[in-house]
Amino acid sequence: MDSDSVKKAIIRQALQATNTANARTLIENINEKCFERCVPKPGSSLSSGEQTCLTQCMEKYMAAWNEVNSNYIRRIQQEIGNQTLSNA
Amino acid sequence: MSSADFNIEQSDLEKLNDKDKTELRQFFANEEHRSRIQSQTHELTAICWKKCVTSSTIRSGALDRGEQSCLANCVDRFMDANLATMKHLANMRQQ
Repeated sequence: MDSDSVKKAIIRQALQATNTANARTLIENINEKCFERCVPKPGSSLSSGEQTCLTQCMEKYMAAWNEVNSNYIRRIQQEIGNQTLSNA
Repeated sequence: MSSADFNIEQSDLEKLNDKDKTELRQFFANEEHRSRIQSQTHELTAICWKKCVTSSTIRSGALDRGEQSCLANCVDRFMDANLATMKHLANMRQQ
C-alpha cells in the first residue's frame, strides 16, 4: 500500500466506526422511547396496534432527530456568528 | 467489510507522507466535531421528544406542524438555558 491508500483505508474505517456507533445510539433511543410510548402495558404478545405504533414511532423519532440536528447546527452557527461579531 | 480490511499495521502507518498526515489530522478534527454534534443531537432529541411529542398514541410517522415548531423551540430554549447558566456561573466566580 502507498501513502494515499493507507490514508483512504484509515478514513474509510473511521467513518464506518462513527456511523455504526451513531446508528446504534439512535436505535437504542428509539427502542427505549417507542417501547415506553407504544407498549404501556405489555401483554402476552405485541398487538397489531402496538406494532403499527412502533413503526410510526420509529419514523417520527428519526424525523425528530433530523429536526433537532438541523436546528442545533443552525443555532451553533448563529452563536459562532455572534461571537465573531462581538470580537470584531 | 471483511475483518481483513480492518487492520492497519504499524508498517502501513509509516508509509504515510507528510501531506497525507496533515490531511488525516484535519479529517479527525472534523470528525471529532461532527461526532460531538451527533451525540448532543441524541441527547437533545431524547429531551425534546419528551416535551414535544406528547400524544399517548402515535398515529403518524411524520411530525405534525405543532411538534415540529415545538422541537425547534426546544433546541433554542435549551441552548438559551445553557448559555444563561454559563453566564451566571461566570458572574458567581467573579464575586
